[in-house]
Amino acid sequence: MRNSGGDEERLTELSPGWDDEELLAALRQAFAARRAVPPEFVQAGKNAFAWHDIDAELAQLTYDSTRLTEEAVATRAQEEAAIRVLTFTSAQAGLQIELEVQEDALAGQILPMQAAAIEIQTRTGTQQPISADEVGCFWISPIPSGDFRLRCRPVTGNAEVVTAWVRL
Amino acid sequence: MRDDPVVIALVRRAAAGDQAAWNEIVDRYAQLVWSICVRFGLSSEDIDDVSQSVWLLLVESIGNLREPAALPGWLAKTTKNECLRVLRVAHRHAHAGLPSEDQMPVDPDAVVIDDEILRAERDAALRAAFAELPPRCRELLSMLMRDPPCRYEDISATLDIPVGTIGPVRGRCLDRIRRSPHIGPFAGGTG
Repeated sequence: MRNSGGDEERLTELSPGWDDEELLAALRQAFAARRAVPPEFVQAGKNAFAWHDIDAELAQLTYDSTRLTEEAVATRAQEEAAIRVLTFTSAQAGLQIELEVQEDALAGQILPMQAAAIEIQTRTGTQQPISADEVGCFWISPIPSGDFRLRCRPVTGNAEVVTAWVRL
Repeated sequence: MRDDPVVIALVRRAAAGDQAAWNEIVDRYAQLVWSICVRFGLSSEDIDDVSQSVWLLLVESIGNLREPAALPGWLAKTTKNECLRVLRVAHRHAHAGLPSEDQMPVDPDAVVIDDEILRAERDAALRAAFAELPPRCRELLSMLMRDPPCRYEDISATLDIPVGTIGPVRGRCLDRIRRSPHIGPFAGGTG
């Protein structure tokens, strides 16, 4: 595979002062660069929009216990460090979703505690509905093998939330 | 970066759920994502992984971009981070136990991201300006852009115009590109 342009190539700003030959050469290069990108690469990017969810607030990953510094992990008790915890937060919706990674399942908790309908969404398009009980607890088993995200609809009718994608 | 009103409009429309605007964003900037992956020397499998992550992150964030005009910079930075993530994972598998950060196979600073952004924006503007030309202009310029360019006799026969008018028509078509609103944001600076 070759670089799209090459390091020696001069990068010139578009300029109204370009003569016809320079402009034609720039056009030629612009289309050559576009042709170098495989069509399926472009199509995959377009398909990603299927995940656009304008009805839900995004909950970003705000805490991941495996992203502690090495010193912090070293000073922790072995069994404590072995449990991975993720927290997703949506400031707009005022909602947090915690996931604790257990051996073959995920223990979930919605904060503040409340009942909710939850959908486990995977990139392959499967959508599995589960529900959180009145204190916000839910259970996912088995652990999804690839990328997934959770879409959470509180029964109170408050703002819906979708987590960032995560892969465990 | 210049505040390209075309990019700002596309971001706003996509954030509101417009698939056509999203497609145009991908058409414009796939080249940018692709070229950065290639510069990092990723395998085609890793390139797929990176691009999937990049576009999904953009889908997530498009409603919250603080400066829509800075989209190319955002895409370049995100692509670079995803490339580094993939390389770090690959490196960890190959050399379990070694520190990952300072043993990277590619020096991140050696990857000239700014050049890629500039190039991608310039190329996207040129293609957009070209796409809005009258059909006759597009046909003529396409024939001249071929490698090697078509001979004037062939162009004359195909487009049914005298050889003597090809030069002036070519000049007028290129002038239209220079005056295109797509080119404006790039050509406006005084230096």
